[in-house]
Amino acid sequence: MDDRWIWWRLAWRNLWRNRRRTFITASALAFGYLASVTMIGLWRGMLSEMIETGTNLVTGQLQIHAPDYYPERSMYATLGGREGIDVDELLRLTRDIPGIVAASPRVYGGGLVSSGSETVAGLFVGVDPDLEVEVTRLLQTPAEGRAPRAGEREILIGRGMANVLDVGPGAEVVLVVPASDGSLGNDLYRVSGVFETGLVALDGSFGILPIGSLQELMALPENRIHEVAAAVEDPFSAAALGDSLAAALGASGLDYPVLPRPWTVFRAELAEYASLAGAVNAIVVGIIFIMAVFGVANTMLLGTFERRREFAVVRALGTQPGNVALTVVYEGFILGVVALAAGALISVPVLYWLHNYPPDLSAMFGDFTMSGTVVRPVLRAEYSVDGPVISAVALLLTSILSALYPAYRAVKIMPADALADI
Amino acid sequence: MSRGSLRAPSRLRFAISLALLGSFYSPLPAHAQSAREIIDLVDQLMRGESSTARITMDIRTENWDRSLTLRTWSLGADYSLIRVETPQREAGMATLMAGQEVWNYLPRVDRTIKVPSSMMAGSWMGSHFSNDDLVKESRLVDDFSIEIAFNGEREGTEVWEFVLTPLPEAPVVWGKIRYQVRKEDFMPTWTRYYDESDEIVRTMIFSEFRVMGSRLVPSVMTMVPADKPGETTVIRYHELDFDVDLDEDFFSLRNLRRESR
Repeated sequence: MDDRWIWWRLAWRNLWRNRRRTFITASALAFGYLASVTMIGLWRGMLSEMIETGTNLVTGQLQIHAPDYYPERSMYATLGGREGIDVDELLRLTRDIPGIVAASPRVYGGGLVSSGSETVAGLFVGVDPDLEVEVTRLLQTPAEGRAPRAGEREILIGRGMANVLDVGPGAEVVLVVPASDGSLGNDLYRVSGVFETGLVALDGSFGILPIGSLQELMALPENRIHEVAAAVEDPFSAAALGDSLAAALGASGLDYPVLPRPWTVFRAELAEYASLAGAVNAIVVGIIFIMAVFGVANTMLLGTFERRREFAVVRALGTQPGNVALTVVYEGFILGVVALAAGALISVPVLYWLHNYPPDLSAMFGDFTMSGTVVRPVLRAEYSVDGPVISAVALLLTSILSALYPAYRAVKIMPADALADI
Repeated sequence: MSRGSLRAPSRLRFAISLALLGSFYSPLPAHAQSAREIIDLVDQLMRGESSTARITMDIRTENWDRSLTLRTWSLGADYSLIRVETPQREAGMATLMAGQEVWNYLPRVDRTIKVPSSMMAGSWMGSHFSNDDLVKESRLVDDFSIEIAFNGEREGTEVWEFVLTPLPEAPVVWGKIRYQVRKEDFMPTWTRYYDESDEIVRTMIFSEFRVMGSRLVPSVMTMVPADKPGETTVIRYHELDFDVDLDEDFFSLRNLRRESR
């Protein structure tokens, strides 16, 4: 018999002396694990949903501008300056970066939209309708009508603007935009459709038109654009992708400077919220397991009291106090491992269900807005590696921590007193 | 400007001043007049009850230069109409100011558009004047408390410098205005506009004083924004007539469209 394992075997046997108690304690830990993993998964699900809806509506997750475009957003600060650029080349280079899935060129202009006697201020975005749908979803399913078609003088406007102007698909509106040559660009456009995001600022002032059509209105040549917006595979990697994009563009011999901006910059509040949520996660996981510590410690303490005389006997027979303590700690650790196995077993189906068939609470709550982003109250859990790992570490720490005090008590047992207690 | 050419306007100025000021004008030294009275007089000299003009507006910006020829009509402080004559591409564009409202007529699409209040601070036709500048051309004495900040000789000319501070309820965007006026003929030489934090925002310089429409006026006004070095808008009067026969009906939306055909 290998002596090294004797204390482990003792611990293992002790654990099953009172099966019911061990089962209940292990269940508490296992459900603690389930709670922790599920909660982290749901938080992540909500965060990704927020980031996704917050970025794939109009902004994309990564943008490229001329370095002087922000903060003023002057219409003259186009990529490549006055000379403009080879737009197709920039789009191709951007799409070639691994991790970037789509890229779309944009032109911005501010002006007026007018119909009948009503006039409102508008922010116009010129897009390539075919490329834009791969990056953002504003064009994908207008509430009414359809997206504007390339080459047509058409505009997709928000519900708020449509209501103020009292127009719908098919109506004619006048667009007035200060042009790049100092004149006042103005022309008639047909409303192709109406979008509805639930965001007042967007629905009330955004107008989306084919890029060429807006360039013509603003007297900008085709090779002058303000922005390339890109969609990335993993939103949490957007900042790193921005850096590698800048490096790749520089290396490819582009003779003009570009400045990438990830969503963590232009939606900084979302990024802050994400890191805040991470901290809240840690606190809640901490609370779950601190509660477990007391429950488990209580059970183990009972167990050691029950075995007072046994401890006294083994001590009287010459066992080192340290080894007695070790048995108790091992017992806690084994309990933790058993609980972890059970917890993992029950967590897998729950997570799978929450990931693939998330309960939709829209019926109860409706959509709500958070940090300027519409969030659907859908309880979808996102898989992650760190969630289960952090929870497992927390669980094992809990089981060891909660065995420390009982171990200390076991060591403190005076063999003579305990044995005299018969 | 030579002494000789100032002669006629100088006499004329007297006549006009007397007519406008009526009884309170006196041959006392100028500082005996209150600051308000002087500003009010300058205001009225510059505007007249009604006027028509043909002007050029030369706009120079960092990104482009352009020149517009405009025809203007005005009645009191409340009504004015501006019509673009050249460049050809923009000919017929017109702006009507009636009370606090600004309307633009766009001949290309044959539509009239009211400028929404959110855009009133925006530039008028790319110039360094805003739509608000066109509308808020109210009488200075109504909106500002006025003090004389300097009274004496500057660059060989006797001048007053006034500091105009907006009255508490006045619908004014400026924190302060400084205004320099020549004593000899009540001609303004410059106006400096400051924001709430006392930073200069822009300067209007008046020059080339000439008799137009039988009044002495600065025939050139140069607007210099403080935050855009090298940019200016220069307004040059080619024709100017005062007290022409205009009534409020002239400043109608119907007329805004019709006249441009």
